[in-house]
Amino acid sequence: MKPIETVPDQKLLLFKSCMVGQEYPGVEAATRYVFDRLGVDWFISEEQSCCTGIGHYTDLFEGLTTTAIAARNFAVARKCGYPNITCLCSTCYAVNKEACELLNTNDEVREKVNSIFREKGLDELVYEKGDMDPRANFYHAVEILLSKVDKISESSVLDFSGIRAAAHHACHYYKVKYKDVIGNPENPQLIDDIAAACGADIVRWYEDRTLTCGMGFSQLHLNKNTSLQVTKAKLDSLKNAGVELMIHMCPNCHIQYDRYQPVIEKEFGVEYDTVHMNIGQFVALSMGADPYKVCGFQTHSVPLEGFLEKVGAI
Amino acid sequence: MMPLLPYVNEYDTPECETLAETAKRSIRTPDSLGLDRCIQCGACTASCPAARFTDYSPRQLVKRVLENDWSLLEDESIWSCFYCYSCNLRCPRNNSPVTIVQVLRQMAVNRGIGLEKLAYFVEIGEYLAENGASRVPGPGLKNMERDLGERWTGFKRDLDSVRAELGLSPGDVRDTKGEIRAILEGTGYFEREKWIRAGTGRDAELPPEYVSHNSPGHEKTGAEFKKNDCIKGDLSFETDRDCSGSEALIV
Amino acid sequence: MTVPPEKTAVFICHCSGNISEHVDIKAVKKALKAEGISVFDYEYLCSSPGQDLIKNKIAEKALERVVIGSCTSSKHGLLFKKCVRDAGMNRAMLEIANLREQCAWVHPEKADATEKAITLLRGKLKRLGHVEPLQDIKVDISPHALVIGGGIAGITAALNLADNGVPTHLVEKDSSIGGQMAKIGKIFSPDKLAEECAMCSLSPLMNEVAAHPKITLLTRTEVEAVRGSVGNFTVTLRKKPGYVRDSCTACGRCSRVCPVLVENEFNCGHKDKTAISMRFSQSVPKTYSIDPDHCLQLNGKTCEKCAEACRAGAIDFWQQAEVLELNVGAVIAATGFKEYDASLKTQYGYGIFENVLTQMELARMLGINGPTKGKLVRLSDTCNLDAGNSSVGNSTTDSFNAPPNAFTNVPANDPTLNSSESSSDNENLSDPPVPGRIVMIQCVGSRDEKAGGIPYCSRYCCMAALKHASLIRKKYPDTEITICYIDMRAFGFYENYYRAVQDMGVSFVRGRPAEVVQKSDKSLIVRVEDTLNQKILELPADLVVLSAAMLPSSGTREIAGVLNVSQDETGFIKERHSKLKPVDSSVDGIFVCGTAQGPKDITDTIAQAGLAAARARAFIADSPKVLVHELASINQLTCTGCGDCLSCPFDALSFSESGRVVVDPLLCTGCGYCTEICEKGAVQVAGFTKSQLKAEIEGVLEAGDLLGFVNSGISSLTCDNIGNSVLSYPSNVKLVKVSTGLVVDKELIMHAFRHGAASVLFVEDPPDNPRAEVIFPLALRHFEKLKEELGADGSRLHFKKAYVPNTKGLAGTFTNLAREGEMIR
Repeated sequence: MKPIETVPDQKLLLFKSCMVGQEYPGVEAATRYVFDRLGVDWFISEEQSCCTGIGHYTDLFEGLTTTAIAARNFAVARKCGYPNITCLCSTCYAVNKEACELLNTNDEVREKVNSIFREKGLDELVYEKGDMDPRANFYHAVEILLSKVDKISESSVLDFSGIRAAAHHACHYYKVKYKDVIGNPENPQLIDDIAAACGADIVRWYEDRTLTCGMGFSQLHLNKNTSLQVTKAKLDSLKNAGVELMIHMCPNCHIQYDRYQPVIEKEFGVEYDTVHMNIGQFVALSMGADPYKVCGFQTHSVPLEGFLEKVGAI
Repeated sequence: MMPLLPYVNEYDTPECETLAETAKRSIRTPDSLGLDRCIQCGACTASCPAARFTDYSPRQLVKRVLENDWSLLEDESIWSCFYCYSCNLRCPRNNSPVTIVQVLRQMAVNRGIGLEKLAYFVEIGEYLAENGASRVPGPGLKNMERDLGERWTGFKRDLDSVRAELGLSPGDVRDTKGEIRAILEGTGYFEREKWIRAGTGRDAELPPEYVSHNSPGHEKTGAEFKKNDCIKGDLSFETDRDCSGSEALIV
Repeated sequence: MTVPPEKTAVFICHCSGNISEHVDIKAVKKALKAEGISVFDYEYLCSSPGQDLIKNKIAEKALERVVIGSCTSSKHGLLFKKCVRDAGMNRAMLEIANLREQCAWVHPEKADATEKAITLLRGKLKRLGHVEPLQDIKVDISPHALVIGGGIAGITAALNLADNGVPTHLVEKDSSIGGQMAKIGKIFSPDKLAEECAMCSLSPLMNEVAAHPKITLLTRTEVEAVRGSVGNFTVTLRKKPGYVRDSCTACGRCSRVCPVLVENEFNCGHKDKTAISMRFSQSVPKTYSIDPDHCLQLNGKTCEKCAEACRAGAIDFWQQAEVLELNVGAVIAATGFKEYDASLKTQYGYGIFENVLTQMELARMLGINGPTKGKLVRLSDTCNLDAGNSSVGNSTTDSFNAPPNAFTNVPANDPTLNSSESSSDNENLSDPPVPGRIVMIQCVGSRDEKAGGIPYCSRYCCMAALKHASLIRKKYPDTEITICYIDMRAFGFYENYYRAVQDMGVSFVRGRPAEVVQKSDKSLIVRVEDTLNQKILELPADLVVLSAAMLPSSGTREIAGVLNVSQDETGFIKERHSKLKPVDSSVDGIFVCGTAQGPKDITDTIAQAGLAAARARAFIADSPKVLVHELASINQLTCTGCGDCLSCPFDALSFSESGRVVVDPLLCTGCGYCTEICEKGAVQVAGFTKSQLKAEIEGVLEAGDLLGFVNSGISSLTCDNIGNSVLSYPSNVKLVKVSTGLVVDKELIMHAFRHGAASVLFVEDPPDNPRAEVIFPLALRHFEKLKEELGADGSRLHFKKAYVPNTKGLAGTFTNLAREGEMIR
């Protein structure tokens, strides 16, 4: 278990996520907004590349490519002096953490990656064992938020009382490296605790709470029917629990729930009242951020206007 | 033992006598993999979203790996896993079917099986080399356009201005100074990509032993390549398996 | 004292391949023979022919020094010492080189292991050049015994001891003996294929304890400290006040007038007893007591209702805690288990859904003196249960013992009494329905490698589930019961019972459930794969019962610390040998039985408790006893009598009447603190003298080695465990056992560096038992001082705490430091 006290607020490299950047840029903007107000020392590097997660988990990239690209990003993080990689996407988090572990423990892979770097004249990317610590240098933004939950609670200006909210914790945050989760990995409560601190009426248990969002990397594209059945199961259980707001922590889940909720409604002939947002967006909103100029809700597929009016944000 | 082909990556799929050995030595699986300790308790399958909605069963997959059943590589079910890692979290023996199935898929790919599935995503590589970022590949974008409609396509058109409004740089392009391309070259990714592209157009050269043991499977694979010609055109959801599984049984 | 080489012999044990497959014994023999030493090897030196070989060679060659290369000395050290003693040799003239756990098992390369074996043997040979005979120390054993814990294990042990004539103190922290067995209601019989009343078996034993002339029963009492050792333990006990005098007649009037309802630990936390109560109606001693945390009077408010109601005048609000001291020769720890906290496996919803219970809670529910008086209900249907049941503590519904208040007039001023007094199943206003579908989940917490889980099988849960399934089916034949299991473990004759329960129509699903889900009507769904037909099932259930693992009780964990006995990684008290010494703890004279030692059922507990009593009695009977551990010894010729060493942290040193410094053998732990203090070098720990350590260092070291000074306690065990855990480390790691790091001075370190040590590591016991709590900070300070004194070389000095389970960590440290050493070389 990762002790909450060990979560840093300094030297955080806010790790850009492709799906955030292309689908929900408001998640990045909102997280920056919140980090600034919480006194978090963060940095974004334009040199940092994609973690390869999408390619890796659609089986396109093999482990060596993924590891080599991760090693390059580690070099970027160290070079800019912000070695605490803090991800907006749970897959970035898992991919980076696993790559770091592999580079530290598998001499053969590390040597191979370094030989590729040297061969290509990229000597400054060479990774030495222990350059990064898989436990101490990798975080998900939600962990940073939780470590500042008291301050978040103090800064909350919107009244979320009476809003039935529920969390979906991202599989690749708590099921891949389950030993490094804050709290019990069978019952992650990070988002719940943050949302509760903002005054939301949080539904801490609902059926299928631990079910995946259904994106499943290639599944959404190659087995869409199954993929959406899974998503539907989750949305159904939220509906049964009377949840109005679902809060998540990963752009892949975000796409699956927000983009595909209307598709499921159409294809399965069902209706949902649930709206979706990322925890960063939620905290920013609670601190009084502009729903469009900071949270970027205009990029969402499920319209949030009704919800925003209800909580008095617009 | 099967001869290794040039595109084979020895880290994901080290050359071993058995499926289990390959799985254990692969870098895709954790060092502490409890594969041999599996007690077939079914916690993985009971926790598995794919098992709930399809006929995939991580428990049976593990059993077949332990039985060294090579026909598993051409079993369509290995492509059903969501990579959600629920089995990884729940297994009381620290086994990890989700990482084992990743190895199996790579082994299948090495044998020319399932290349069409990779081909769907294949442009991610070049996009990453060029931009330092990934994106949903072309066929996927088409499907999303169709499913998500104007609200989404409209937003995608305005992405740059939305990003600007949020104080972000226009377009999600990273400054990787060609390093990503160099790395992909160095790891042999582009060779692999060529092979994937070629493989979806023709039957792969399979090792003779494999063909002799599994010729029906081989033919089936070939037939599937043809079926997946649609990738290049209007990619619909024909790739959904015929057997969509059934809802869990209520007793 | 030099001895010609022909008077010295080395014996090497093959350990049936455990050593000989990894160490080239021929090569070892050749190397040592070249130095003029006789070397013998044998398949099993610990066997009787093996010991005969040693004895015969000692006699035949008039040997004066013997080195045995075998398994760790903590395994057969005593045996070999006895063996050479039988051959007329002083035990100091025997050295044991650990060729198994610290050589053969940890160095996979045969050449490395062979080379290391030679150095280890050479070290011991050199050491033998500097030994003095050790005098045996004899002590008288106290004839009294102490049994800690009044559950079925402690009760059985105490009765066995007392029946054998040993005066025995039985200490129990609760207000009554009886333990967990008192709670479970029924026990199953594998031959009668029936469930029998647990209390009917237990209660007579409890009464026997109370009546036995040789047993002193102390309830509400905890062991605070144990001092001394080997047959003379001075035990400090604290007896908490019960605020009720022994004149209590257990009439129950007090409880009926008490206005405070409290959670009843006995009934799994149901709020169904008052602040003055008896643990259960058959409690022994049969005395009420006041819960000081909840009593109004004891918390500054005015009440005294119980005192007014008591006709015996037994209430005494001024009672104080008593501190008692005992001198006992043997101790039996029977401190029991606790049920695993099933809420850690959140997927099963315990603590989230009301209708998910543990087997222990179900046992209480099925118990006639339980919170529902034996009625099976869904807790969600009984929201008024706690409030409406305030008089259960009075046991008015008890069926097998005449309730104490049945013959007395019931005070009319108790509003809750009438309904519960006369309650019968058909009279309650709204009788909650009987849950029709029950699903039991096995292995909750057990056999689970995940965080929060425990690796072992808890042994009792399969049978507990079968017992409860059978009970429920007999009482409510329409109930559908499904047991989800991974393996049903009905060992021995228990299989008969399993078959009988199968015949009753209980369903079994082979699969470990993924999760439990609650529907809006509070009914539950268990998601599980039936692995025998590959179907994923969603089993509907009104009640889900979790067969939670067995963990050492907090009392067991605490007492292990107080007694300074070793524990396994989960906290159970570790037996000295899993097969041969199943009730001996790591400390002589302290024994363990029941679930304090490991998970087990009542049958096994009683068997083990009987053995513990027999062993304890044998230990007490063997008086006076010969001490074997090494102590500080004062060289009276060089001692100036300055008295500096009297700062001994264990107060083991004092001036005798004649003004000499003397060592109390019962208090001295041989830690070596005094050796660091004495400037004249007049005090040394026998067996760990500077000259012996110097000689051993010379023998074992080669250039570039990592020299480890290993504390002979937990640290040594941990080093051995590296071998047991099939881990490895480089063979240039050389370990030398010391009583503690305190016996190692600067000169020894410099000596080690001169003889090739690249670095020196101190491996010390962590401060988690009373002895180590004293020693650890001293050892750490000593290390820091040495590091400072060594100046630039200080960086070659390292320190590591060794926790028994952390074999990987210690092996890692060895490996890292050894690699550094190799680089220097």
